Amino acid sequence: MSGIGPVESVDSPEIDGSCDVIGGDSPRLTDHWHTLPQRTRRAVLTAGTVTAVAVGAVLLPPFHDGRQDEPTPPVPWPANITEWRYTGLAQTTDTPTTTGFFRFAVTVESGPPVAIRVIGAAFDGLTAQAVPDPSFTVRTGATRRVTVEISVSDCSGLPLNADLAFLDVTLRNTRAIQHHSFIFGSAYSNDLSQLLHRACGTTKARPGPRPSGSAGSQNVDRN
Amino acid sequence: MRQRSLVILTSVLTTGALTLTACGSRDSGSKSDSGSTTLTIGVDAPLSGENSTTGLGIQYGVQIAVDDANKNNWVPGVKFKVKALDDKAQPATGQSNATAFTGDSSVVGAVGPLNSGVALSMQKVFASANMVEISPSNTDPSLTQGKNWATTKTRPYKTYFRTATTDALQGGFAADYAFNGLKKKKAYVVDDKQTYGAGLAGIFNSGFKKLGGTIAGTDHVNTGDTDFSSLVTKIKNSGADLVYYGGQYDESEKITKQLKAAGVKIPLFGGDGMYATTYIQTAGKAAEGDLATSVGVPVDTLPAAKAFVSTYKAKGYKGDYGAYGGYSYDAASAIIKAVKAVKDANDGKLPDSNDLRSKVVDAVQKSDFEGITGKVTFDQYGDTGNKQLTVYQVTNGAWKAVKTGTFTG
Repeated sequence: MSGIGPVESVDSPEIDGSCDVIGGDSPRLTDHWHTLPQRTRRAVLTAGTVTAVAVGAVLLPPFHDGRQDEPTPPVPWPANITEWRYTGLAQTTDTPTTTGFFRFAVTVESGPPVAIRVIGAAFDGLTAQAVPDPSFTVRTGATRRVTVEISVSDCSGLPLNADLAFLDVTLRNTRAIQHHSFIFGSAYSNDLSQLLHRACGTTKARPGPRPSGSAGSQNVDRN
Repeated sequence: MRQRSLVILTSVLTTGALTLTACGSRDSGSKSDSGSTTLTIGVDAPLSGENSTTGLGIQYGVQIAVDDANKNNWVPGVKFKVKALDDKAQPATGQSNATAFTGDSSVVGAVGPLNSGVALSMQKVFASANMVEISPSNTDPSLTQGKNWATTKTRPYKTYFRTATTDALQGGFAADYAFNGLKKKKAYVVDDKQTYGAGLAGIFNSGFKKLGGTIAGTDHVNTGDTDFSSLVTKIKNSGADLVYYGGQYDESEKITKQLKAAGVKIPLFGGDGMYATTYIQTAGKAAEGDLATSVGVPVDTLPAAKAFVSTYKAKGYKGDYGAYGGYSYDAASAIIKAVKAVKDANDGKLPDSNDLRSKVVDAVQKSDFEGITGKVTFDQYGDTGNKQLTVYQVTNGAWKAVKTGTFTG
């Protein structure tokens, strides 16, 4: 006897039909239904079924082999999907000794487009901006070649040898705006150091560690 | 009749499946009644005493990866289990644990340790057994790039990998933020004489000087010390505007408290060893404004890590997943996916134990998958390809990310 029966018997005196009538005492739809001829009731049922199927076909989402739609992945944060790669110095003529043009490849791996602005190059004595457009947008899967102009505005706080040189940027997509630093390897550090030497080498900028490369080599000022 | 046919069909299929599985798994791991092989992933970390908050975060990070692998059948016919051993942050204990792992034929690889100094004592043991070891937290550059990493990089052991980036980047990143971000010019540098702490402090020291900062003084403490009054006096008299600490939260949370109590209202800046909720809980208001760098980007900016965090919380696991939990998950995943790659390349069969271990090392080297902390790859030294860093600052009683960076060199 482990079955669970109704809490109240169906013919309980407490079930008198009055408890489910709320808000009025007019005859219910079911009362009208039973007074209709059987033929009419069949016609109404058929029409109702056809209407329900038609409405369902329009309103319900398409059937996908029994699988439920996967939830849309959240939009990634821009710093997690944006890659910067240093590709070398830009070929320029008549460049002032205090300015250098550095080239980068910027890729966005996934998510919506990322709007980017270069805002600095780590030191207060340096200014940096993308040229010709200070702000640019990179779309998913695309690689954009970017030239960044870095200028020396004040030698007094600058080291001559830039180790672990950064480029500070803002990255913006529909998820967030982030300030982020991209830290480049020795090739960028060497090229930036050359600019610092060119611009500040004869002034009172602080000297870096003793050069270890051979004279005239690209690595002349790098350990 | 139909039911009887189904019973017969099911029996035939089950018998066939069991036979095939049994043929495919010789000496690797242990076989269960259902015919699947069970392999063990070792975890070595401090699970009691000092550093155990972050150590437990490593253990349970691996546990969640193993649970996911088993639940989602990442490697058909193979189940995984975790064997966690407590190294108490002691190199000798870590070495004993490594020996225990390599002596257990069911262990296919290990995740850990937390401390770089412990890792130095374990690497050779794993290398001798050709067993993969992936640390989610070791940051000493010499572990992957050799003692002369600053000039000539040479990989000491091909069995050692890490999902955390190195102090070479972390120390430089901290120095830049201290000098250019906080505009601090005079730093007092302290370390705990351990491999990790002394190494990180040294890198910060030279980086800060290169940028133009001056070092107001240097000093050392011992792990386990609780009274730092003489150190506080030295710092106070030096006129430093920042203290940099190379070491773990166990000591730094006391140093900052005693420093602020003595009226020295300058920030204490440390590395990933300090990035723990315990630091703030213990130091209280004294921690406000202090800073720490940590490997990777904030977990809450990684959509794939969301499920990991909610599982960790739902299970009520102890410890702190914030610093290394996600990197532990990815380290364990790299081993599990390597097992799958080896099995797939061997006609769906697991090689014998020694051969499996050796092949898993090679497969881990070739890892290339989307982990919960980002893309998981390893370079020629065994270092992670994911070289992201974050500076956190204690703001209103919680760690808040104030700067993120990516090394792309």
